[in-house]
Amino acid sequence: MAESTVTLTTPPELVRVPLVTNDRKHTWITDKVSNIVEARTPLWWWMAFLPCSLIAVIGLLCIGYQISNGVGVWGENKTVGWAWDITNFVFWIGIGHAGTLISAILFLTRQKWRTSINRAAEAMTLFAVVCAGIFPGIHVGRVWMAWFLAPIPNANGIWPNFRSPLLWDVFAVSTYFTVSVLFWYTGLVPDLATLRDRAKSRVAKYLYGIFALGWRGSNRQWRHYEMAYLLLAGLSTPLVLSVHSVVSFDFATSIMPGWHTTIFPPYFVAGAIFGGFAMVLTILLPSRLLYPQLDDLVTRQHVDKMAKIILLTGTIVGYAYLTELFMAYYGANKFEFFTFFSARIGINNSGWYSWAYYVMMFCNVISPQLFWIKSMRTNYVAVFIVCMFVNVGMWFERFVIIVTSLAQDFLPSSWHHYHPSWVEIWTFVGTFGIFLSLFLLFMRFLPMICMFEVKLVTPEADPHHHPKKDQEGQH
Amino acid sequence: MSDHSHEITPPAAEKFDAKHIGGLSQILLVCGVGGIGVSAIGFFVARQQFAFSWLFAFTYFFTICCGALFWTSLQHATDSEWSVLVRRQMENLAKLLPWFALLFLPLILFCAPYLWKWWNIAPGVDPLLDFKQGYLNHTFFYARAAGYFLFLAWVSHSLWKRSTSQDADGAAKHTFAMRKFGIGGIVVVALAISFAGFDWLMGLDYHWFSTMWGVYVFAGAAGSSMSLLVLVITVLKSKGYLKLVNSEHYHIMGKFMLAFSIFWAYIGYSQYMLIWYANIPEETIYFRIRNTDSWWYFSQFLVIGRFFLPFPVLLMQATKKTKYINHVAVWILVMQLLDIYVIVLPALHRTGFRPSLFDLSALVGIGGLMGWLFLRNLVQSNLFPTRDPRLLGSIKLSN
Repeated sequence: MAESTVTLTTPPELVRVPLVTNDRKHTWITDKVSNIVEARTPLWWWMAFLPCSLIAVIGLLCIGYQISNGVGVWGENKTVGWAWDITNFVFWIGIGHAGTLISAILFLTRQKWRTSINRAAEAMTLFAVVCAGIFPGIHVGRVWMAWFLAPIPNANGIWPNFRSPLLWDVFAVSTYFTVSVLFWYTGLVPDLATLRDRAKSRVAKYLYGIFALGWRGSNRQWRHYEMAYLLLAGLSTPLVLSVHSVVSFDFATSIMPGWHTTIFPPYFVAGAIFGGFAMVLTILLPSRLLYPQLDDLVTRQHVDKMAKIILLTGTIVGYAYLTELFMAYYGANKFEFFTFFSARIGINNSGWYSWAYYVMMFCNVISPQLFWIKSMRTNYVAVFIVCMFVNVGMWFERFVIIVTSLAQDFLPSSWHHYHPSWVEIWTFVGTFGIFLSLFLLFMRFLPMICMFEVKLVTPEADPHHHPKKDQEGQH
Repeated sequence: MSDHSHEITPPAAEKFDAKHIGGLSQILLVCGVGGIGVSAIGFFVARQQFAFSWLFAFTYFFTICCGALFWTSLQHATDSEWSVLVRRQMENLAKLLPWFALLFLPLILFCAPYLWKWWNIAPGVDPLLDFKQGYLNHTFFYARAAGYFLFLAWVSHSLWKRSTSQDADGAAKHTFAMRKFGIGGIVVVALAISFAGFDWLMGLDYHWFSTMWGVYVFAGAAGSSMSLLVLVITVLKSKGYLKLVNSEHYHIMGKFMLAFSIFWAYIGYSQYMLIWYANIPEETIYFRIRNTDSWWYFSQFLVIGRFFLPFPVLLMQATKKTKYINHVAVWILVMQLLDIYVIVLPALHRTGFRPSLFDLSALVGIGGLMGWLFLRNLVQSNLFPTRDPRLLGSIKLSN
């Protein structure tokens, strides 16, 4: 091919910033990440873990109290039959989306920046799904019948209703959880072997050794590993989409105004990724503060990219909100119109929960717009504040969908207010305790950054890498 | 892993030589003029059939070009490297968008009452229509249509202009400007394709509504547009151009075709299932017509042809990296045609399939004209962005 006379120079402002800053070497990465697990338990960890686990215990006590007394201890009533229970379920299951998205979809699309955040995000996913799984189990009331959620052959020949989206939920969530655990664990194996090899105590060596499944890092093992990881990524990708789509079916298959709308599946998925990324940052930013050595691995560039995803998904969610509003008007169905424009927006002061709608709109659509400004995306305080808004907003989104539609339904004579009871409030708070306790345990015992994958994105991993040549080039 | 040097000597600019395609340009022009001429007869003798046929052909090409604008915008918004070598052809396809304003004129000026039943219904006759008169009225309808074309034309032209200017000076400022237009372009495409879909397609039955509709139209548009891009690149390669485009680029384009086949199925299934499950008559009417008589076969074939056939084929890497991707691309474009046909024509022939010569003439007419205009675009600039700062990454692409 003939060549032109001009040279093509990458302008300085377009040169890509390295993903691992300060040109850190592979040994540095191994040392710093492993050190988090190997060092003595820091005081702050105990100061965080004890209150979190205490809150988790309170939550579990509330669940015990509810099981022994029945769902009557909650604030639900005949009109508002679903409230905080399903709100919390959808909230947590939504959060459990970002991890697998980062791990699977960003892996398939060759987004190398995922490597330093995927491990923690995946762990967070699993813990969020654990929290989510509690609510459908206990909201059935007679929890000892919860086994009936699964289609287990029984002597009475009674089966769950296969045409019910609630049953699809059981399949979707349990499949998602299983594949996510496998995916997370598969990615952990090489790093567990590193910890095993570095372990000084016999117990640690033994335990990490068991879970490292005899990993020796041979060529053959790597080949199998990479195939397994790719296949699991391929399997996880449709699951990321299917779980929240099926959750949205719980509502959208009904004829309830505000629930029955065809855009629900992609809208829920976008919302889940949105909320999930906000929670990843909510956890990652303080972790980064506590472990300053991670600064070179989880950089401003990572935060900037995640903020962009929050902006994108927040805007998609905004599109869905506005499309719903538009169709509530265009569809000319007076019940649908009432739900959106009166019960939610509060025209003529008729919306009991319109305040919740405005909280949702502000937190989910308005607040992420701050991320149009680059300096805001790289300002950790600003990012953290916006993420907190998003966390709140995504909880309110589910509350708005569920409670506003039910409380003011077709028949005004059956309208009913809903107030959460202390049991509901503490059960929900308790799930935060469970979530954070599990995450703190994860930080303590497992490498929170995928060491071997991060090494792959450093210049050192390039077969054509010449350290000397690089140094010369810098002059 | 990327190369650490930041300075390369770029490959020579490639210019398209019209001689390479023989008389194709003239053939397309003759098809365009001939097709439009036959359609013009339909305009006078069977106005209603003409209106639906024209809307069908118009929507088909319009959605593909909107898809091209979406892809162009996406590459800039994500600062994408892989696509630099093929991006100019996306830009050339998107650059056709302003011409659609001209092709829409016969519909909006002379055929509106035939297509959109609400057009001539007086206030007070249908309470449901009265309810949404704030949106469905003539003035706002004109204004919206003008808005769609204006914004689409502005963004597509600006992206093309900046990109070709960069060919001359290689300045980074164009990259930054295109990034801004790209981000804005995604918003413009999302809103234009959704609301154009609501106005022109969903409005064929003004009682019917579905919040998913905009996403559904977009899903089909994006997938088929990527397929057309594959074919354009293949044709150019077969004429000796774009030698730097290799199987790695095809691999990525194939992945997008796969992704959007799945996405189309996901959106289509969700919309269908939710409407079927809730079983509300004012919503099911759309599918009732399309599941009745001969339309039922078209609908079933669409599901199989648009998803179940391309899905396993595109899943294989071998398809995406070899000539077979072209066959799949042609297939997807045909399926997009069927999709739009099943959206538009059953609104006229509610009792079953009734082919018309004007369906074909409109398709050949608009297709020929657009093909001819595309070839004109092709000679106006280099075949790939010669001095794009990300060109090196695209040349050295490895999946």
